[in-house]
Amino acid sequence: MHCVRKVTDDLYWVGANDHRLHLFENIHPIPQGVSYNSYLLLDKQTVLFDTIDWSSCRQLLENVEYLLGDRPLDVLVINHLEPDHGASMEEILIRWPKVKVIASAKCYMLMRQFGFHLDGHECVEVKEGDTATFGKHTVTFIAAPMVHWPEVLMTFDTTNGVLFAADAFGSFIALDGKLFNDEVNFDRDWIDEARRYYTNIVGKYGPQVQAVLKKAAGIVDQIKFICPLHGPVWRNDFGYLLDKYQHWATYTPEDKTVMIAYASMYGNTESAAQALAARLVEKGVKGVVVYDVSNTHVSTLISEAFRCSHIVLASVTYNLGIYPVMANFLHDMKALNLQNRTFAIMENGSWACKSGDLMQKFLDEELKGMTVLNERVSMASHLGEGKADELEALADALVDSLAGK
Amino acid sequence: MLFKTTPEHEAFRAQIRAFAETEVKPYTFLWDKENHFPREVVEKMAANGWMGLPYPKEYGGAGLDVMSYAIAVEELSRVDGGTGVILSAHVSLGSWPIFAFGTEEQKQKYLVPLAKGEKIGAFGLTEPNAGSDAGGTETTAVLNGDHYVLNGEKIFITNGGEADTYVVFAVTTPGIGTRGISAFIVEKGWKGFEFGDHYDKMGIRSSATAQLLFNDVIVPKENLLGKEGEGFKIAMATLDGGRIGIASQALGIAQGAYESAVEYAKERVQFGKPIAFQQALSFKIADMATKLRCARMLVYSAAELKEAHEPYASEAAMAKMYASDIALEVTNDALQIYGGNGYLKGMDVERAYRDAKITTIYEGTNEIQRVVISAGILGKPPKAAKAAAAAAPAGNVTGARKKQIWKGGDAKEMVDALVADLKKDGYDFTVGIPADTPITKAERVVSAGKGIGDKANMKLIEDLAKAAGAAIGSSRPVAETLRYVPIERYVGMSGQKFMGNLYIACGISGAVQHLKGIKDAATIVAINKNANAPIFKNCDYGIVGDVKVILPLLAQALGMEDKKPAPPMVKMKRATPKKEKKSVKVCLGCGFEYDPAKGDPENGIAPGTPFDKLPEDWVCPECAEPKDSFIEG
Repeated sequence: MHCVRKVTDDLYWVGANDHRLHLFENIHPIPQGVSYNSYLLLDKQTVLFDTIDWSSCRQLLENVEYLLGDRPLDVLVINHLEPDHGASMEEILIRWPKVKVIASAKCYMLMRQFGFHLDGHECVEVKEGDTATFGKHTVTFIAAPMVHWPEVLMTFDTTNGVLFAADAFGSFIALDGKLFNDEVNFDRDWIDEARRYYTNIVGKYGPQVQAVLKKAAGIVDQIKFICPLHGPVWRNDFGYLLDKYQHWATYTPEDKTVMIAYASMYGNTESAAQALAARLVEKGVKGVVVYDVSNTHVSTLISEAFRCSHIVLASVTYNLGIYPVMANFLHDMKALNLQNRTFAIMENGSWACKSGDLMQKFLDEELKGMTVLNERVSMASHLGEGKADELEALADALVDSLAGK
Repeated sequence: MLFKTTPEHEAFRAQIRAFAETEVKPYTFLWDKENHFPREVVEKMAANGWMGLPYPKEYGGAGLDVMSYAIAVEELSRVDGGTGVILSAHVSLGSWPIFAFGTEEQKQKYLVPLAKGEKIGAFGLTEPNAGSDAGGTETTAVLNGDHYVLNGEKIFITNGGEADTYVVFAVTTPGIGTRGISAFIVEKGWKGFEFGDHYDKMGIRSSATAQLLFNDVIVPKENLLGKEGEGFKIAMATLDGGRIGIASQALGIAQGAYESAVEYAKERVQFGKPIAFQQALSFKIADMATKLRCARMLVYSAAELKEAHEPYASEAAMAKMYASDIALEVTNDALQIYGGNGYLKGMDVERAYRDAKITTIYEGTNEIQRVVISAGILGKPPKAAKAAAAAAPAGNVTGARKKQIWKGGDAKEMVDALVADLKKDGYDFTVGIPADTPITKAERVVSAGKGIGDKANMKLIEDLAKAAGAAIGSSRPVAETLRYVPIERYVGMSGQKFMGNLYIACGISGAVQHLKGIKDAATIVAINKNANAPIFKNCDYGIVGDVKVILPLLAQALGMEDKKPAPPMVKMKRATPKKEKKSVKVCLGCGFEYDPAKGDPENGIAPGTPFDKLPEDWVCPECAEPKDSFIEG
């Protein structure tokens, strides 16, 4: 059965929801699913903006054929070729042999690499500032390199103010009938998953996102709809969304609070982490969160690390190194370019305590702009009562640092 | 040609040897034991005209050749390596740069008294962060009208403290590496020029070795040696010649040990015959003699080349390297021949064994000699990736510190400001700990360095410790050499580690080993009259001033009343360094980050190359996007 939603006059959402996929990019869990968004413009010419993942191709075809009726599909615009959007394009090319393709030069290179056959199709190569007219609607193309692939374009419909934003402004969570941001409680139900999506997928490319945001600032008063390739279409409250992006792209924390991430084998490091959390809350710190790195997916840890201003890493020593799961978290922070946070360290080791020095070295040398508080809690096996002062000193240091002292 | 010294050379050798045997040898044990600099011997050598052997008579020298100089150093070292290096450092390092690069006025003013032996010379190149790599020189000389202002420190300076004239190297143009170094002639006694530690060395203990401290020393413009920027060239040329001196010293030390061992081996009887005739030892003696002859040939050949104005840098390096390498082997064998007797203090081979070691280290380590020699053969390595000219400044040993320094103000006001800040940091001076609390357990320590001076001044430390409610500690020399406090009270990497809150360093310059022992201190306070002392770069609060003035004022300000017992120690907070982000450029084609510190060595871009200095045709090493596809990261 077709399942489409009208975005605005002439424009329809023709994507699909996916609850069967367990791991997005085969790495990030998506317990609430994800949507693949594709948009069909019915102007003098019919234009499909991006396709969707191969697993949902039949739904896309049903949706497009339903809306086209007897008309052919004239134009296929590929803003982003990553297979969760591009994989169905070959089927589109086969079904509509005369469809014209519009994409960037790099996008064509990728199409050839993935083995999509363009023979016999008119291929228009566009770059920043080029325009295309489909009848009533004229679009202009905005290059968005490395947000988060090199071929990415955004397409802006100057006629109705629709911005096809590719992966920017996207989110995990299936739409399940809803389409617009004002049809969901975004700040309550979606923001955490939107953050987890951005930080893990696009997080590394803050400078490139900032470059695109700067371009978007020039047309922001003309934008009426933001149509991303995942998650809801935005038709109001742009300020909320742009503010989040401004924080994420500049690696600025959203909340002045403490995230405690601990790696504990037998509960001793966990006990110390919990004792610290209690002290912090007692001292008036709001919003303290505690995560066990061994049973929290690293994509969540990354998302929270982007959100919080202060991060406490509490780790046991394992084979004279950092506990592997904690090390993985650190490596992911480096991979995703997280910067400008304040860290505190708690270390544990029963015969040779190495994790603290190693974590500090990693933060100092591998990451950018990370401040590590001098106060460190070191424990041999277990944090005994004799260490209460050290714990207190660490809590005070965090409180002072949160207060900007 | 005949590989033999001339009768004149041998007659000269006999003179020096006779002098060494009568004027030096009888006293060597005592000098070694007491670290005594034999000024009386230097004066006698001066009277004999030996302090300026290779310099022309019109400049007060003896007008002899380089070979004679080498023989003199060899013969002195044969009985005492320390005395040998006094002459070597004076002639080769302290005098030669003035002879070779000085103006006529400079030669008249400085070379003449040096060559006559009225003055002693020394050479100051080495610094804590500039050993073999002179590019790390941190001493600066800033031109200010008709004079330069010299600041910094030099370490391990032979004849330091005893010499009158110093050739000192300092950076006049920062940021361009060795090309920014210039040479200066500096006189002992100039305001702000002081001497730090006299090192307690393993060997050559009759030679004085000290730290030179320059604190706003005014050096007249006319004391610039050579031109600005020529310092490195002057230093390297001087060291080439100096190596002949050190090679001679190594040769002499080894020769003395060898002769002594042969004599002993001929006297000592085991298994019914002198041990010299045990094949194990006769072969050893044969090997020692062969090594000595090889070394002597190398040394004399280098001296002849220098005298003949032939290129001699590689040959001097070979001579220094080989003579010192075999000096270790020969002195080791000599001591072995002596057996247990050689292991006793007072035995000349025991001293030679210790004296020899320095010769593979100074005047360029033997590793550096191999660099010099191989560079002479191979030239520069292909496509050498130059390290960044402006290398990242070395971090403080004690980590990030506040470095609030008071200098030049009214002593009372500076002390009051310090006390106010300490109280603001949460220090309670109504409580205290016993002065004999173990260093590792102490919450506060007041520590004395050599700058405290006479033992009577320890009263100032005791008073301050009482007023500050602190235990008493010290630097290593104060406990080990001066013995003002028991040995277990010295603080440092090799001594006790201070892990408490407040550390007050009085008259401590801040050697690295000391600083490593206090890096966990919450607050470090430094009181020292030398503003360039490293302790000031490693402290939270510092007062530049005389301990004899500051300490009593500080004790008074903290209160001399009896202190209440301190509660259990609570470790105090230390200022956390804010990390600054470094700037990088990122590629719009793939996200690659160009980090100037790393460069792109695979594509011939040396580390330290700023992005805007990349060649126009440089492309992203990951995705081949052109340079203009990079944005600020």
